[in-house]
Formats: sequence, structure tokens, C-alpha cells
Amino acid sequence: MRRLYGLLVVVSLLSLLAFGGAAAQEEKVLVVGLSEDYNGLDVHRAYEPGGSLIHKIVYDTLVTFPTDSVSEILPNLAESWTISDDGLVYTFTLRGDVVFSNGDPLTAEDVVFSFNRMKNLKDNPAFLADGIVSVEAPDERTVVLTLAAPDPAILAKLVFDAFSVVNADVVRAQGGTDAENASEADTAELWFNDNSAGTGPYMVDFYEPTVQTVLVRNPNYWGEAPYFDRIIIRNMPEAATQKLALEAGDIHIAMDITADQLPSLEGNPNISVYSTQSDTLIFLLMNQDPEIGGPMSDPKVQLAVRYALDYEGLKLLGGAGTNTPAAMVPLGFAGALDASEALPRDLEMARSLLTEAGYPDGFTVDLRYPDFTYIGTQFSLVAQKVQADLAEVGITVNLVPEELQVSLEAYRGGRHGFGLWLWNPDYYDTLDYVEFLPGGVVGKRANWTDENADATILELRDKVKVETDPEVRNQLFREIQLYEQQSGPFAPLFQPGVHFAYNATLKGFNYNGQWRVDLSLLSF
Amino acid sequence: MSLSAYFLRRLLLAVPLVIGISLVSFIIANLVPSDPMAANLGERAAADPEIVAAFRAKWGLDEPFFVQYFTYLRNLLSGDMGTSIRTRRPVADELLRYMPATVELATAGIIVALLVGVPLGVISAVWRNRPIDFIARIISLIGVSAPVFWLALVALLLLYLRLRILPGPGRLDAVIPPPPAVTGLYTIDALVAGQWRTLGNALAHLILPAVVLGAYSAGLITRITRSAMLDVLSMDYITTARSKGLRERTVILRHGLRNALLPVVTVIGLSYGNLLTGAVLTETIFSWGGIGRFAYDSARSLDFPSIMGVSMLIALVFVLTNLIVDMLYYILDPRIRL
Repeated sequence: MRRLYGLLVVVSLLSLLAFGGAAAQEEKVLVVGLSEDYNGLDVHRAYEPGGSLIHKIVYDTLVTFPTDSVSEILPNLAESWTISDDGLVYTFTLRGDVVFSNGDPLTAEDVVFSFNRMKNLKDNPAFLADGIVSVEAPDERTVVLTLAAPDPAILAKLVFDAFSVVNADVVRAQGGTDAENASEADTAELWFNDNSAGTGPYMVDFYEPTVQTVLVRNPNYWGEAPYFDRIIIRNMPEAATQKLALEAGDIHIAMDITADQLPSLEGNPNISVYSTQSDTLIFLLMNQDPEIGGPMSDPKVQLAVRYALDYEGLKLLGGAGTNTPAAMVPLGFAGALDASEALPRDLEMARSLLTEAGYPDGFTVDLRYPDFTYIGTQFSLVAQKVQADLAEVGITVNLVPEELQVSLEAYRGGRHGFGLWLWNPDYYDTLDYVEFLPGGVVGKRANWTDENADATILELRDKVKVETDPEVRNQLFREIQLYEQQSGPFAPLFQPGVHFAYNATLKGFNYNGQWRVDLSLLSF
Repeated sequence: MSLSAYFLRRLLLAVPLVIGISLVSFIIANLVPSDPMAANLGERAAADPEIVAAFRAKWGLDEPFFVQYFTYLRNLLSGDMGTSIRTRRPVADELLRYMPATVELATAGIIVALLVGVPLGVISAVWRNRPIDFIARIISLIGVSAPVFWLALVALLLLYLRLRILPGPGRLDAVIPPPPAVTGLYTIDALVAGQWRTLGNALAHLILPAVVLGAYSAGLITRITRSAMLDVLSMDYITTARSKGLRERTVILRHGLRNALLPVVTVIGLSYGNLLTGAVLTETIFSWGGIGRFAYDSARSLDFPSIMGVSMLIALVFVLTNLIVDMLYYILDPRIRL
């Protein structure tokens, strides 16, 4: 026994020594703490926000957004493009000076391969390519994209990671294919975890699932060389751990800070905090099908609910940075109504609407929701607040918390009569919110279809889907949202805040909803 | 029956046990009123019938339940545990990737529990109802009842952030690359490769999570050791040993502790099994990429092949730890050999 204790003492001393001496290093390393949400780094299967952080600096897309907003489309691999008058044919001219990380020059063939592979893998992001009929390369520097119908959102979609351009020769050599049967024939997926074939400022060095992702500087990068030689993204699933590691100086950025951690960080001079409204929209769904929705399917009841909610109080549940959108288009998207145009809380109005609908004494209804916490918002608390608000107009709400996957299945199957849910944008164009209209992905979950919707909203929906003129689009979106406020099966609740904390000596921090932080622009 | 025949039979019994467990976990996983498709496809992909059909065909989810199960068993017999739906890597590779981290942590945890629990229990029994006994009992109470989550955060806050004497989350500092993989246990691999700095760093990173993980077992072992020692110390042979004029240390350690060890060994065996399989919280807070976290993530995304793999691994761990406990009984208690 005594010998064992002796050994332990020696071992502890040894380890303290080693820990103390681990500071010196020559290369410039950036360490990021992230709750890892991706399971692989095949960019044509990319779908998770965490992965965006990596794909953004390993690969490039034809067009891009500014580093700090999603407000306009900028050239990237394509130096210019033209759009045919009918809105169906996009012709891109590639830059002449772009090379891949292995030195190969970028050609239009690489773009064709990349787009087709993404589409034919039929993985999560493949729906983004649904409207694309063909991609062709008439010459080395020209890419011609043909659409089935005009899609005003196509350029915004092309910014998404999954449209990144890879070196076709390299990926083919690893078993990659862009053929129709790629979903079965392609065998390159695992190769992407420890390798990359992009044109971005960094290359994937290795990916150790659930531990870390390590990127190294691309020596052949065609743009301005980044500051850091190496970027290490460490998986830290727990926000409390991220905060501790940031305070201790072991990581430079904590990507998953929650609102309740902010007060204790704000007093720390070594740490900067960045808070903004997220693009996540938290909302109530009221099923249009009377069999499923019961009283909730009545348009008057739906409007009464929108008038009965205490939006100011709900906002507090999302923490700092939370905002309330006026309808189903989140703030920050082109054409969104201003927050000041939101419906006010009006209990009198709500009560009289309920009386008109035949429920002067109210009714009882189940509110079903996934019992989880999403970017700091506890769904159970939001549900309780909804319960309290609606009680004031006589609606008795029974809370029915459900396990996430179980709840998700019922919701996607259109079986929630009254539900509490969230929606994240698939791409950064307001057109994504047409999904809340009749026949859209979310619309269908509320059983709002072409058959039971009225002509006004169907007409607006069909117009906005093909309109390319920005001003006319914004006007159409405006009319749609004003309609949504008065009629329809949804009530917007709020957009919770998102928070990042980083070492105060770090320069160049910028936020953008698509990739969040461009790590290649950071320096000390 | 000879010892080896007995243990061989015990090992063979594990085979039907594991198959039974595979059937039960397969049924349970399929009974969940949810769909792996919903858990693994994004919002939009799940709304696209073509993508959904491709997903179901790829993972064999379009087959009837029993066909799925027998396909699974058949593959298992040829050593193929299937491919994880979530990570798309072979399940066997995943288990091999995550198990060493957990083995390293659980082993360190049980060592901490032993080094604290047994001496504390003995001291507490020998000086029963003295101040030192009360202190030992309070320590064991804290170990048993303090939530892992709280203990971990307090330990990190104090020893990592404030006092800076121990490193924080992760198995190594970010700037230290993992040693060349032989066993997957960083400490052993670093030792094999002669990388002393890596070894020291890996050991330092082990201390906090091992203490936090081992705290519960340490408390439990203290209690069991104490009560077992109290029983044994009141036996006639202890009085006899004392009356022979043996040194008190010999009486307590040789005659007392050795006989009190049987229940302690059982507890240690079971605790080790629990530490190997139930370290989700510790692994999450300490960003320790182990099997607990893998099991949690797999369950959350209804990743059937991984859930099956983990279930069978856990079954095996318990079969093996029980077997080892029985072997220790055999060695410690000559009566079993009669």
C-alpha cells in the first residue's frame, strides 16, 4: 500500500512539471471551443451550423455574403455573372487566378462536378439544388446554370456550404462521383474527414470526432494569407466548460455561450462578448384541420391567440439580444416588417374574438412541444408563459412536453393540434419563409393547403416565388406578413439572442448568420 | 470442476446472454414512437420523399422488423457490427475509438476510489465513533451524494481556473498532439512512445475527471469497507490474534482487512462496470470523447446500429467484471474452492 502512495506522489509531481512547461510554442494557433454538431466534413453533405465554421475557410463558393451581414451577394470564385431575361439561365465567369490547395488551377469542370455531386448524393442539403436543371461548362472559365423556374433566391442558396467547389480530380481519385447514382456509388465521404480539396485559406489536417478538428494554413492560397498557422476547434459540449476554458485562456473563442452566463463575463476585461438576435424563429402552430386542431383551427381563435400573447414578457425568456418579429419573417431578412409593426397585446380584442367564435367561456386545449433547450431557450418555460397568457382570455392550456424525436415526428406528420416549435433558415433569402404559407413545408404541418387556404394568400405566394425585382418582392413580402398577422395558423413568439465570447486581444471578430464567424480574418 | 473449466463455461454462457440483450435492445429501439429518419435528416430533406426513400433503402429501414434483426445477427456473426447512421463509420471502429478514453478514465477513477475508500473505511472502523470516524463518514457522504455535475464544475472552477494547478477539459492540451495510437490509452501510448511531456500532460488531465468520477465509488467503498471491517473486527479470531500478541497492524491488515475484502471486491467490480458505462456527465463536462458520450449521442439520434453496439459492449463489460470478481473471490476465499 505504501509503495502505491509513493508512486502516486511521484506521478502527480511529474504531471505538474509537464503541465507547467507546456506553454512555449512557435506557431500561431487559434483555439475555438464549439459544441460539435457535425459528424463528418464532406462539404457536399454539409448541413450543420458548426460545420459552416470549417467549410467557410476550407472551401469557396461562387458567390458570397459580406463578413458581417447577409444583406447582399458579392463575387467570390465567380468574378461576375449575368442572368437571362426569363430568369432561368445564370452565366458565371470564374476568376482566373484561383488554385486549389494542391496547386491545381480551378476550372469550370470542378464547379460542374461539385454541384452535381451535391445534388446526386441526396443528402441533407440536396433540396437546395432541386430547381437546378443543368450545370454546364462551355469553357474553362464559364459556368452556365439552368433553372426549371425562376428562383429569386438561387444566388443566396449558392452561398451555402454545400455548393462549395472541390477539386474534381482529387475527389474522383478518392471514389467520389457526380453521377446520378452518387447516393450509392460515392465512397469519398470518409476521406473528407482527414483531407480536403478546396480553394480556401485553410486545409483540414485531421478530424478526431467528438474531440477536435484541426485545420492548417493552405500554402497555395490564392487570396491574402491568414494570420494563424493552425486552427484547433475543440469539442466542448457543455457551455459552462467553454466559459471556464475561455476564462483560463485555453480557448480563444467560446461559440456556445448562453444568456445566463453573460453577466459574469461582462465584468472581465480580458473577454469580449458579442450578442445579437439569432435567425431562429420560435412560434406557435395551430392546426387548420378541425379534427386535429379542434377550436385552434378556427381563424378567429387563431387571431385571438395572437392578440392574447404578452410579447414583451415572452422576449425576456430568450435572454439578451432577443427580439420579436412582427410576423413569420424574422427581423434581419429583406422585406421583414419592422418590429414596431407587430400586433400589440389586446386582451379585450382577444376575448371578443373568442366570443364571436362561439367560445365566450373559453375552452381547454393541449399544447405539445419538444421538452428541450435550444440556444439557451427552455421550451418548457416558453410553454408555461403561453399557458399563463392564454389563461387570461379563458383558454385553459394543458402542457404536453414530449421527447424531441417523438415530438418532431408528430409535428412533421402534421399531427400537432397546438404546438410550440422553431424554424431555422435553410438559406439566407426571405423566400425560405414561404414555407410558412399554404403547401409549404411548415404550412403543411399545420394542414394549411391549397384547398383550405383563400385565394388572396395563394396568389401572393405564387407571385413572390418568381418575382426577381427586389422592390416588388419586398412589397409582396410586406403584404404576405400583414396577411399573416390577421389570418393563418401561426403566431410568432420571438427570435432568441445568440452569444459569443472571445479573448479581448483577438482582432477582426465579425458575425454573419450563415457561417457565424470567419475564423480566417482573425488575428492577435 | 477445475477452475479453468468453470470460467470457460461462464464465458460461453455470455454468448446467449449477449444475443438475448441484442434482441431486447433491438425491440426497445424499434418500439420508440419515432423514426431514425426524422432524427437524422434535416427539416427539408425529411419533407422530400425521394431523399427519405434513399435514406430508408440505404439503412435497410424499409425491411420488416424481423428481417432487419436477422440481417443484423447474420452480419454480427461474421464480425460486422454495421455502420453508424449518424457518423457513417463502422460501429466497431467507433467503439474502438471511444472505448479506450473511457477505459483510461474509469480505471483512473476506480484507482482513486480504491486509494481513498479502502484506507478511509479501515481507519473509520478502527477508530469507530472517534472524530476521525466522523470526518471519514462525512467525506463518504459527500462522495455518495454530491451531484457529479456540481462536483465537476466546482473542481474545475477551483483547481483549474482559480488556483491553476491542474489543466482543464480534454484529454490533452490543445497544442499537444495525441501520441501514436497503440492501445488508445494516451498514458500507455505516451509511455510506449517515450513521450514524457505527453505522458505528464495526459496524467494531469486525468486527475480532475478521475476524482470527480471516482467520488461516488469512493464514498460507497468507504462505507462498505467500514461496515465489513466492523463485522470482522468483532470476530473471535481477531481476539485470538490479539491475544497471541501479534502487532495491532498485523491484526488489522492481515487478519481483519483480508477477510473484510470480499464484499468490498463485489462493490469494486460493480462500480468499475458502472464507471465504464455510465460516465456521460463526466465525459460531457470534461469534453472527454468517450463511450458514454457516444452512447448518449447515438440514442438521441436513434442510431440503431450504434445503440446495438453499445448495448452489447456494456453487456460484455458487466459479464467480464462479474467474472473477474468471481475469480477474485476464488483467490481471496479458500472456502469457495472446497
